[in-house]
Amino acid sequence: MAVPDMRLTVDHATVQRGAWSLFADGTFSDGIHLVSGVVGSGKSTLALVMAGLFVVTSGTVKRDGIKSMMLSMQFPEFHITGLSVAEECESWGLDTGTVIRSARLEISGSVSPLSLSRGELKRLHLACILARKDDLLLLDEPFSSLDCGEKERLCSQLNARSQGITVIFTHEQSAFPRVDQIWEIQNGELFNVGKMPEALVRWQHAPALIKKLLDAGKCPANLTPDAIREAACRTHGSG
Amino acid sequence: MQDARIRLGSAALLSVAAFISVEGACAVFIWWLLFTPRMRSVRNRSMILGMLALIGVVAAMIMISGGNWVSYFARMGVILLVGMWLYTEQEHGDLLSVAVWAFGNRAGFELGMVGECAMQVAEALSGDFSRIQFAMRLKGDVWGIKKLVPAGLILIHDAMVRADTITELLAARGYQKGGTLCPKFRTGPVDLLAGTCAICVLIFALIPVSEFFILYR
Repeated sequence: MAVPDMRLTVDHATVQRGAWSLFADGTFSDGIHLVSGVVGSGKSTLALVMAGLFVVTSGTVKRDGIKSMMLSMQFPEFHITGLSVAEECESWGLDTGTVIRSARLEISGSVSPLSLSRGELKRLHLACILARKDDLLLLDEPFSSLDCGEKERLCSQLNARSQGITVIFTHEQSAFPRVDQIWEIQNGELFNVGKMPEALVRWQHAPALIKKLLDAGKCPANLTPDAIREAACRTHGSG
Repeated sequence: MQDARIRLGSAALLSVAAFISVEGACAVFIWWLLFTPRMRSVRNRSMILGMLALIGVVAAMIMISGGNWVSYFARMGVILLVGMWLYTEQEHGDLLSVAVWAFGNRAGFELGMVGECAMQVAEALSGDFSRIQFAMRLKGDVWGIKKLVPAGLILIHDAMVRADTITELLAARGYQKGGTLCPKFRTGPVDLLAGTCAICVLIFALIPVSEFFILYR
């Protein structure tokens, strides 16, 4: 049976908070979307709007074909509802042992989640989130508090998501999964920069390395380490 | 109200007046109607409803035990209104300025800085609380009494982490004791009138109402 197309449509949504405002208009379909923007540009607010947890001043947010949704907030503490790691895993409907192994943590299920370091807690939280396989996955700064190895592992897990919409809100500059579309928030407005790799040349918040490669006439096929390495090693005329 | 000294002083006097008696609370309520933007001064209505509910629970317990629950509810409710007004009108640096003005650059600075830090935590708590509620909705959990314990623990934990970070930052910047500040205040005619009225309200609350009608008796 064919899986119906999933679509998240943000239709002329406006958020007004005093002098600060955010305007978003666009459709997010299957694949991995990267929403970039400077700190304070409204990435977290947009994530809450898309999750339906923030009432917009005007406009609408529509979900077509999306049966389940999850938002991962930047700070994992906010997601804790259990007094122990085991209770926390149960609150997600997951087996404690499986989650601990998946997060590569060496802890007991009886410890308090608040006794874990921010990095450990983030790993535990992401393991819970990724185990659910939701149709729409909204990740607000998923790479914060993770070391390089864990960032790479998260990218691999995101790449392995076989279907659904993944939206990553981040100002991360070094670790990325295979991205399908780039968006950016500038001056209070969400812009669709375009699909990969054409979007790279128009991407204002592109990491310095990407800009350098583009200046050298080497456009990487994607943002994954392999794609960047391939572009960097490319000799003129071979690509 | 522009002058932070008069604002803080008035709030302290009014809180005492409202606590002393129901008559005092009524006078404070009239002061609140006259000198504040009234309900516009309530920044977070759900928070005030929650606090009113908390006062209501205690009032119900007083009622069950045969005490004067009306008096308690009225007095605490008015104190809550004054507190909400003070919280909304407060600007960053007000507590530090008033404390330095009152107690000098050493003890005053320390006291003011502690107050400012507390205000920062209070502001952050409100944001943290709504995020915790968002997370519960995402998990399909329903907000209830059972969820108060983990939510409270997270809020306390985050406040402690913030306090730790601020302490380390201050130490890293070489902070030891006191500081230098030349506080400046703007005093308008309404400030003086409101301050004088707040003193009158306290005097009214301290004197038994029957004394006003002594000639009548």
